[in-house]
Amino acid sequence: MLKEVELAIVGGGPAGLSAACEASAFGVDTWVFDEQSAPGGQLIKQIHKFFGSSAHMAGRRGIDIGDSLRKRAEAQGVHVCLNTVVFGYNDGNLAICDGRGVKEVKAERIIIATGASENVLRFPGWTLPGVMGAGAAQTMMNVHRVKPGRRVLMVGAGNVGLIVTYQMLQAGIDVVAVVEAKAEVGGYEVHAAKIRRAGVPVLTSHTIVKACGEESVESVVIARCGPDFKPIPGTERELKVDTVCLAVGLNPLTELTQLIGCRHEYDAALGGWIPSHDDRMETSVPGVYVAGDLTGIEEATVAMEEGRIAGISAAESLGKVSADKAAALRTEAIGRLTELRSCSFGRYGPGSGFKPTRAADKPGGEIDLSGGLGVIVECDQDIPCDPCEKACPTGAIKVGAPITNLPTVNQSLCTGCGSCVAACPGLAVFLVDTRKTEGDKADVTLPYEYLPVPEVGNEAAVVDRDGKTLGKGRIVRALASAKYDRTTLVTVRVDKAIALRVRGIARQ
Amino acid sequence: MLRIEEHPILGSLKDARRVKLDYDGREIEGREGEPIAAALMAAGVRTFRYTKRFHQPRGIYCAIGRCTDCMMIVDGTPNVRTCVTPVKEGMKVETQLGYGK
Ligand SMILES: Cc1cc2nc3c(=O)[nH]c(=O)nc-3n(C[C@H](O)[C@H](O)[C@H](O)COP(=O)(O)OP(=O)(O)OC[C@H]3O[C@@H](n4cnc5c(N)ncnc54)[C@H](O)[C@@H]3O)c2cc1C
Ligand code: SF4
Ligand code: SF4
Ligand code: FES
Repeated sequence: MLKEVELAIVGGGPAGLSAACEASAFGVDTWVFDEQSAPGGQLIKQIHKFFGSSAHMAGRRGIDIGDSLRKRAEAQGVHVCLNTVVFGYNDGNLAICDGRGVKEVKAERIIIATGASENVLRFPGWTLPGVMGAGAAQTMMNVHRVKPGRRVLMVGAGNVGLIVTYQMLQAGIDVVAVVEAKAEVGGYEVHAAKIRRAGVPVLTSHTIVKACGEESVESVVIARCGPDFKPIPGTERELKVDTVCLAVGLNPLTELTQLIGCRHEYDAALGGWIPSHDDRMETSVPGVYVAGDLTGIEEATVAMEEGRIAGISAAESLGKVSADKAAALRTEAIGRLTELRSCSFGRYGPGSGFKPTRAADKPGGEIDLSGGLGVIVECDQDIPCDPCEKACPTGAIKVGAPITNLPTVNQSLCTGCGSCVAACPGLAVFLVDTRKTEGDKADVTLPYEYLPVPEVGNEAAVVDRDGKTLGKGRIVRALASAKYDRTTLVTVRVDKAIALRVRGIARQ
Repeated sequence: MLRIEEHPILGSLKDARRVKLDYDGREIEGREGEPIAAALMAAGVRTFRYTKRFHQPRGIYCAIGRCTDCMMIVDGTPNVRTCVTPVKEGMKVETQLGYGK
């Protein structure tokens, strides 16, 4: 059976859906095919708040970004076909298979946005049940609501490893450690900070030696490693875990672009082989466009911009939008992309790893509390992100342009409203308030995303940025509000002497 | 329990119709709409099949239908990827040995 369409998009992640939104807005008959049972690609598992600017729905959770893209696409008449895998290409036609059988789709233009798949890591015991990709663990807990294990070792401290570790803690799973063979954490420091303050050690220059067990994982052996990533004999130690999660990078899913015959090039920093494309996202095969992680492992923000460009270009070549208009829209999108990429990092791939631009060790000690209020912003890397600035009603926090600027605070403008604490996707903003406290006490307001939420009146142990207990405090407020989007603002009253160092409340 | 009933971001687990599965002769409960693998994992099952030559255990690895580690015999049909096959009332799920034939 042959189906004829104007534009076929393979992959319903942020890249494919954004492309669909653009193209359909110009009246292109647009079809999206995705093999999963829900649209959104990686976003259906990402329950954390995203970085970026308001153009990328920054500060919103990945799941909700995926949802709004899908709604917009559907409202514009895009046909989103789920449980539909595109498995072949023949004579210009795509071969698709859904629950009912195999079909051929003849599309005037094609956009491939298949995303990426997870790299594997081989070590003795890697095939044992209990060893799984970090993405699998995420699917189990965030989509199917099942704990993939009880005690976990995470392998890899890139953003994926750090974020999935945090999500495991949120699901009530114990993560005993994160090991990273490189000497430095590859992911954003704010993501690492979330799990460090929860007491999870992030062990750099450490690797997994083996997973042990008969029927499934019962323990693992980890060891220090040198720059060659080889374990250093004598440094081995055994950890009791039932699960090992691998977060060792992603690689672009190029099967289809290979089949179609697009030219590819190798770029280690982008995750491997990627289809070559021009600045319209068109490949070497005319009429075939690409976008998203397929063109290099980056971020959803980048995937959305690339998708927009591909959608606009496809619409233009179908004669649905004038060349001038298309060029203007593309220029805008390319401008935003350049800004996003000006981050010294910005990748989820194996080439990740970036240098802090400001001394990371800032205990908050230099903040002057004489005005009664202090905002501590522990965001020391040039992340493309600005919700803190957008949330501040008084202009006390500034990021400015480019969006990778570090936020600066004018403490004298701060009114202590707490909006920035809730808005920061990095959970990196803390507020110290001595205006209402007596004697040697201070109120610390911090973001909290675990269960149970601490109860007002209760005593709680407070921890520093490494998860070390600083002392005790009393919970004086726990504020949940729709505008905080499931981040609770917890205020704990502590001794002034430790107030500037409090980064969390020990989880119960 | 391995079910995540309450979640700080995703909220309380929504009600779903329960379906009963026969897993190697044992009764297991699943939630309508979820894949077989999720129901098994929730019940604490981790080994889904054994390889042919070396009889090594395999379990969930990718959970999105790519790696084939989770294949089992479902209602008599071998090599069913349980991570992408929804549960059905009365389904018979068996640990697969080798190619399951
Ligand atoms: C743990 C984790 C955390 C992340 N956190 C962030 C973050 O905080 N901020 C951020 O900006 N980015 C984040 N990212 C990155 C972001 O999720 C990806 O960059 C983005 O999803 C890429 O979008 P995409 O559309 O290119 O691909 P995907 O989202 O991977 O979507 C591709 C889709 O194509 C489908 N598909 C593939 N092949 C076929 C086929 N042959 N037939 C049919 N369908 C097919 C897949 O099923 C999938 O649904 C994170 C990623 C991970 C893994
Ligand atoms: S607490 Fe309120 S006023 Fe102060 S910096 Fe944050 S958002 Fe601005
Ligand atoms: S402090 Fe501002 S720039 Fe830094 S992560 Fe938080 S919201 Fe983004
Ligand atoms: S776990 Fe990989 S196919 Fe099911």
